[in-house]
Amino acid sequence: MAPPFLEIRNLAKRFPTRQGREPSPWVIRDLSFAVGEGEFVTLIGPSGSGKTTLLNMIAQIDAASDGQILFSGDAIAASDPKSLRPGLDRRIGYVTQDDNLLPWRTTIDNVLFPLEVQGRLDDKTRAHAETLIKAVGLSGYERYYPHELSGGMRKRTSLIRTLVYDPPVILMDEPFAAVDAQTRAQLQEDLLRLWEMGRKTIIFVTHDIAEAIALGDRTLVLTKQPTRIAAEHKIPFRRPRNVKDIFALEGFASVYETIRAEIQ
Amino acid sequence: MTTIDQVISTPAEPLISRKTAVLLGQLGFAAVLLIAWQWAADAFGIIFFAPPLAVLQRLYEMAASGEMFWDIWATLKVSAIGFVIAMVAGAILPFGLRLSPRVTEAVEPYIFWSQGIPKYALAPWLILWFGIGELPKVIIVIAMTFYVIFYNTLAGVRAVDFRLINMARVMGASEKVVAREVIWKSIQPFFYAGMKIAMPHAVGACIVGEFLVSTEGVGYYIEHARELSDTVGVFAGIVVATALVLVINALVNWLERRALAWRPVARDMR
Amino acid sequence: MKRYRRIADRILVGVALLALWQLGSWVLGTYWLSTPWLTISRFVTSIASGEMIRHAGYTVEEAALGGVIGAVPAIILPFALRRMPAVVQVLDPFMIGGYGAPKLALAPLFILWFGIGIESKIAVVASIVFFIEYFSTLSGVRQLDAKLVQMAQLVGANERQVARHVVFPSAVPNIFAGLRISLPIGIAVAVVTELISSNRGLGYLVQIGAMNFDVTQVFAALLGATILVLAVGYAVDGTERILLRWRPPADSQQQQLGTA
Repeated sequence: MAPPFLEIRNLAKRFPTRQGREPSPWVIRDLSFAVGEGEFVTLIGPSGSGKTTLLNMIAQIDAASDGQILFSGDAIAASDPKSLRPGLDRRIGYVTQDDNLLPWRTTIDNVLFPLEVQGRLDDKTRAHAETLIKAVGLSGYERYYPHELSGGMRKRTSLIRTLVYDPPVILMDEPFAAVDAQTRAQLQEDLLRLWEMGRKTIIFVTHDIAEAIALGDRTLVLTKQPTRIAAEHKIPFRRPRNVKDIFALEGFASVYETIRAEIQ
Repeated sequence: MTTIDQVISTPAEPLISRKTAVLLGQLGFAAVLLIAWQWAADAFGIIFFAPPLAVLQRLYEMAASGEMFWDIWATLKVSAIGFVIAMVAGAILPFGLRLSPRVTEAVEPYIFWSQGIPKYALAPWLILWFGIGELPKVIIVIAMTFYVIFYNTLAGVRAVDFRLINMARVMGASEKVVAREVIWKSIQPFFYAGMKIAMPHAVGACIVGEFLVSTEGVGYYIEHARELSDTVGVFAGIVVATALVLVINALVNWLERRALAWRPVARDMR
Repeated sequence: MKRYRRIADRILVGVALLALWQLGSWVLGTYWLSTPWLTISRFVTSIASGEMIRHAGYTVEEAALGGVIGAVPAIILPFALRRMPAVVQVLDPFMIGGYGAPKLALAPLFILWFGIGIESKIAVVASIVFFIEYFSTLSGVRQLDAKLVQMAQLVGANERQVARHVVFPSAVPNIFAGLRISLPIGIAVAVVTELISSNRGLGYLVQIGAMNFDVTQVFAALLGATILVLAVGYAVDGTERILLRWRPPADSQQQQLGTA
């Protein structure tokens, strides 16, 4: 049987113990799950459940204390911080909570930044960037600087900046947490639409149960520290999903309640 | 369960602590500078580069004969007078301006433009007026230090939190008490910041002023030595001048730490 | 309406100052104070004859060369040492000492070494600009947002690209803040060094005027020097405004939430 696209096995993380102190507590311990290619998986957990730490480790910007991360069967978890390869040579994209746009670049230049850095800037990729800009409704704002954009617009820019270079896996850390409900619903729709176009593998972290259900093929529930997977739910709703009316779908309430109980 | 966490939780003990390494590096760098100095003296000749030992000897002579102290005293005296006057003017003016925003706006560009005048360049004109002596020097020191204190105090006056003032007034405090307790306390950090820069500035300004318009003081000693092509004297004088300014700098820092002990000290440059 | 009143107020103050000057000149004599009219007409004549322009040119040349020689290493050093904080710490006391020491006091030394020509002025200007620019750039490099570096690494940037696309632009505002201070100082310092010993430049014009007891000449040259200092300041401001268009206005740092 082919190995899963991305597999996490017994992942563990604790921060370095200071000299002469007691060993620091485990942030993550014995965490395992697998993700199939093209799957949209949502991770939900209470605050303090090490969600960002988990994503950091998958994205290779933080080292694991124990366990393995396997990408198409190849082990990639580094235990030595010095041998980390951030983004795993651009195979793993990461949309962080802060938009981290370069303030001195316009929208279009921010979106083109990864292509510039990777030496892949040409007419075709430029056109692709323009398509993405149009797809999220940022047409006309290409020459604006980040400080001239609203929070939601910056989020969108940050999102398509990751999409533009087509990483096979995309991690997303509560990307829509800081915007109001209407913008969030719109962004969720935009995201699903873009995902349908490319069917990338997405791991999406959130603390919003409704969002987790609306977006994912599968939802994994995380525990408090030391974090493990408490439960896994396949989301029964068909795609394409109507994010705005998801509450009305039959069966939504029971999935919602089940998950909510598990998070306690 | 593998024991990878051992690798991460106990970083290797470095041979020497970071602090010691830095200190050694600094001593090493200083040694390199001294060696370079000696080399330059050998390579370029005594006219251009006084050898370190000769400079040391001259410093000793200056100290022994008391000449060093007379010069330092002459410089400090003038610096102090100029500094105090500049401080008073620079600190009071913003308070006065605070009373009338209209006057402030009208006058502000002229204060800004007057800062563009190279103040040392006024020296020849001051000599015409007052001859060579202490008064032109004092005026130059005042001119150089005034702006620093003025702008810093002005920033402090503008930054005073109006809510605190209103709160004090509501509690029945008189204007005088408001001025003293709320305004002055809020301004203090800005004021001290200005003073901190201004004090060494004043001494430096005095020394440079002495190049142009004096018969005594550390700056005079340097310029006089240059005119006589007494390179050793020039070097010695510069050492004294630099040491003087750095000592004043350290003094001011120490005073600031004591005066503002109640405030979290802003740490820049760290 | 308020704007016009402010301009009118300022013109009023300006006229008052000029009147005060003229008054002082009547009371104490033209010999001591010259007059506004004499000064300005001498200034204009000097420009027309090319003398003022020529000497101003020398001063600008000294300040420009000294500025470049001082600023370039001062800007490069913090970037080069970004990954070696220990070295920066080692250099710290020497840099602080160099910053605090009055570099203008070294002017006689530089004149001794380089003579009364342009080189001594360049040396003085360079030594002053260097220390100011070093600390400005250093603080800019230190303020770097590590998350931006991380983002760049995630999309595949190597060390050089990170330095070029993230570290450097991030420090540019601080570099400019340093230039805003150090370049006008460079002009003023060049003038003063010319005063001490030179045969060209605006400081030289001041000195000549003083030696001939010609206060009008002194003031006219001072006027030229002041205009130059202020012009350089405005030029840096203007350049900064263009290059740093991307900066959020000072008091609206908060994110705008919500509205798409």
